[in-house]
Amino acid sequence: MALSSNSLDIVLFAALPYLVLFTFLLVSIQRYRAQTFSFSSLSSQLLENKRHFWALVPFHYGILVVFAGHLVAFLIPRSIVLWNSQPLRLYVLEVTGLVFGILTLVGLTEMIARRFTNSKVRKVTSRLDALLYLLLLTQVVSGIALAVYYPWGSSWFATNLTPYLWSLFRFQPDLTYITGLPILAKLHILNAFVVIGLFPFTRLVHILVVPNPYLWRKPQVVRWYRPAPRNLT
Amino acid sequence: MISSANPNSQCCRIGRTLQLAMSFTGFFVLAGVLRCEASFAQETAAFFKSSCASCHTIGGGRLTGPDLKGVTERRDREWLRSYILNPQAKINSGDAYALQLLEEARGVVMPQVPGLTPEKVDFLLDLIEAESALEESQFKGIQVSMEPFTPADVAQGMAIFKGRQSLSNGGPACMACHSVPGIGGLGGGNVGPDLTRVFERLQGRVSLSAWLQSPATPTMQSVLRDNPLRPDEIHVLVALFEDTAKNGTPVQVTVAQLSFLLLGLGGAVLLLVAFDFIWKGRLRAVRRPLVQAAKL
Repeated sequence: MALSSNSLDIVLFAALPYLVLFTFLLVSIQRYRAQTFSFSSLSSQLLENKRHFWALVPFHYGILVVFAGHLVAFLIPRSIVLWNSQPLRLYVLEVTGLVFGILTLVGLTEMIARRFTNSKVRKVTSRLDALLYLLLLTQVVSGIALAVYYPWGSSWFATNLTPYLWSLFRFQPDLTYITGLPILAKLHILNAFVVIGLFPFTRLVHILVVPNPYLWRKPQVVRWYRPAPRNLT
Repeated sequence: MISSANPNSQCCRIGRTLQLAMSFTGFFVLAGVLRCEASFAQETAAFFKSSCASCHTIGGGRLTGPDLKGVTERRDREWLRSYILNPQAKINSGDAYALQLLEEARGVVMPQVPGLTPEKVDFLLDLIEAESALEESQFKGIQVSMEPFTPADVAQGMAIFKGRQSLSNGGPACMACHSVPGIGGLGGGNVGPDLTRVFERLQGRVSLSAWLQSPATPTMQSVLRDNPLRPDEIHVLVALFEDTAKNGTPVQVTVAQLSFLLLGLGGAVLLLVAFDFIWKGRLRAVRRPLVQAAKL
């Protein structure tokens, strides 16, 4: 452990990650076993369909690309360092990340506004949903602020965050990689841990049951099981 | 059968077994102790390299701080311990030797090293004493050429800074976290400090080279721990920093940040327009169109 790591850093960045990871794994499994059909996003599209589009589409396209970027930097950091070895390529990657980050924020803002201004949707919104939206908003805003105020995140994620995260998975937390990072970066990491810990208690569980086979299965024709109307025959 | 066994020989066997077990235990304990001592020595050397070598050598001459060869002969351990644990307090107390050190370092106060305890200071002093007795210490520091830098050195330094020339040990480009003038485009990073004046801040070629070889900050230590810079890479980077200190002015990051943000906003707006176009046939509502259709 780093000599300069203070006790708070140890609690937040060396102990908390394990707590949230085990909570995530155990509660997700337990919830799936006990309440399989509660694994849902609890869509409110039937209650309101106009604003729903401008919330869901930008948010999901944005978060999927941003998440994929984080995942690549975590799994193959060398690829990011090599890609970023040309400043132009670095700028293209960073601007792309920012574009999708802003899309995520647009979608999330509309999602929150719709939730709390539409009376029907508000009726099906729980306190836990409100907390989750607050955490997600913190995550997205801190991510965009990091990208703008502390460039170039794709590179320093690969060189500092990735070794730290891998040190957690090796059960040898090495905080020296993140000790010197700005407070905003620490907030982004910490908030991510809280979201992971809260994940199995919220509607976020729908991520685990995304019907991926829809992407490659054969199209299905859905028909009414009743006689066709006369004027169509 | 037990009853027929010779009690003396059995006793001897047990005794021998116990003796053997104790010998083994003793061997392992001794091996453990020796290994602990070896690991203490290694840890202390690693600590010196990471926390002291950026400002001090042992027998390699002065950097920002004094050469530590024979320091335990110059001052007694009690004084050294209290100074190393809290240099500022020693200076504030008006100690004449501490003030002299401050003057020799041109006003740079030795930072208080986090995590140091009196025991660790003693280990460090033991290490310095042992290394001082050697003809050539492992901490004699980097050998720095004092030849004037050429424009080619500066250009190569910039290529490394921007990442166009990869670092041989796989380290990241400096511009991921730092800025200097002349990068162009959207500029360099902002997580680490602007390095335009780092040549002056770290008091010249020798100290800056030593710093780049053994960085003093935890972030740089972790980044360069597995990817240390080679002496030729340090040489051209120092050439770049000498040039920026002479000819450059620190970068204004606001303009680059604003351009970056505007590009991001522009791209997001374009994508939102694209979404609206792609899904122009989407169902915008359910009940209202049905009601309207019924009215017609």
